[in-house]
Amino acid sequence: MMRRRSNPLVLLATALASLIVILPLFALLVKVPYAHFFSSLGADHALVAIRLTILTSIAAIVISAVLGLPLAWWLSHSPARISHWLRTILLAPIALPPTVAGLALLGLMSRGGLLGKYIYSATGWQMPFTTWAVIFAGVFVAMPFLVLITESTFSQLPRDVEEAALIDRASDGQLFWWIGIPQARSGIVTGFALAWARVLGEFGATMMFAGSLSGTTQTWTLQIYQELDINPDTAYSLSLLMLIIAMAIVIALRKPLREAFAR
Amino acid sequence: MSLVAALAVCLALAGYSSAQAESTRTVTVYAASSLTQAYTALGDKFMAAHPGVSIKFSFGSSTTLASQIDAGAPADIFASADTSSMTLASSVFPDAQNYVQNQVVLAIPKGSTITKLSDLNGKVTWLQCGHTVPCGIAADSALKSEGVVSTNPVSLEATASAATAKLLSGAVDAAILFKTDVVANSGKLNYIPFSNPSAALSQYQIGISHSKATTKNVWAKTFYAYLSGHSAKKFLASAGFIVTSI
Repeated sequence: MMRRRSNPLVLLATALASLIVILPLFALLVKVPYAHFFSSLGADHALVAIRLTILTSIAAIVISAVLGLPLAWWLSHSPARISHWLRTILLAPIALPPTVAGLALLGLMSRGGLLGKYIYSATGWQMPFTTWAVIFAGVFVAMPFLVLITESTFSQLPRDVEEAALIDRASDGQLFWWIGIPQARSGIVTGFALAWARVLGEFGATMMFAGSLSGTTQTWTLQIYQELDINPDTAYSLSLLMLIIAMAIVIALRKPLREAFAR
Repeated sequence: MSLVAALAVCLALAGYSSAQAESTRTVTVYAASSLTQAYTALGDKFMAAHPGVSIKFSFGSSTTLASQIDAGAPADIFASADTSSMTLASSVFPDAQNYVQNQVVLAIPKGSTITKLSDLNGKVTWLQCGHTVPCGIAADSALKSEGVVSTNPVSLEATASAATAKLLSGAVDAAILFKTDVVANSGKLNYIPFSNPSAALSQYQIGISHSKATTKNVWAKTFYAYLSGHSAKKFLASAGFIVTSI
């Protein structure tokens, strides 16, 4: 086999590109106060924020799945001219800056908001600054990821099994549960993981829509932001845990991720 | 199966949030970021003296906190770093009162070559808080009164604590900070005062909410009395705040 000689410019770009990603991560690892890692986490109620983040992110992912998987299924089986427009709008949050997402959520749900004013005048309750706001923001930013990836998996499924089932008079619901979901398993898992990573990393929309109250709305990332001003050691320790989770997601999904994006 | 899981999580969360709503042993305090260290310490002292009571803080720029309160954020107590932020929250905090005072100074790292305000016109970088938050408003007023600085800050930080963190990290050579933030980091920072202290002053205010939830919350009143009381003010004075009446 002949070895291809790499262009030196390509090699240089490769080295620089790798360094741009690797060096900041390396700096993060160096700055972590390993000697008092656990005591720095125990300080300032860091675990409260982690617990809140895990709980709200799971809730956001479950809601995204319950509503998003049927949506992805519908999009993959609808006439292109209808689904095309709906898809474009539904996927917008992926490209939307989080602060704009936060503003949009406030515009809808605050007590002077489009929907919020009716909820507030009827019940005296409003969503912003509650734990529900953290979950809602999570669903808003993460569900599009789940839909994007599972829909592309649904559309790639071989149609012959479905057609055979249709001949046997299977309903659309049965197709979704017994054929769509099991066959699209790997795409769904990838969608779950990426959506979950997106919720864990959520910052701007949560800060604007939910605030930053310890124990109620202050998530992991908001706490890292606050700790940087007060106690940088804690910020670095919290960041290390985030990095470990991020690496775990990427390593666990090496294969499905490549497949999902190589299509 | 996913439906069952969804239900379980929702129920768990409902229990989680209603448990928080029911307990009146929780006090929510919104406070200016310059109070972060002092209030965290005072909160810990109070919780140690009253086991079972939980003090929750949200620290940030007074301006941001005030607009959150105005939009319905659930604060029992609000301590702002100026009077205009408190005015913004006056629908919920109608009878707030003057609290401590703070003053901005030119903060520099120990061993810095900067010795006077006009040194900011040399080859140095410096920053201050944004023009709409208390520490920035005080900085603007102090700089204007001094009239010797002709360079511009390289950044306008969102909160006093963010400005302090940037100086501590070595990102700039100097920063206009609240004196209390310099005192809290006296091992690392020195300061140069402005020659007209009254222009550099910021008047803090504190209030207790008139919402139904707060008026029923005995611990909110107790903690409010504690924050306004003798021992808390003595503690704030030791942290560098100007206390006019103890």
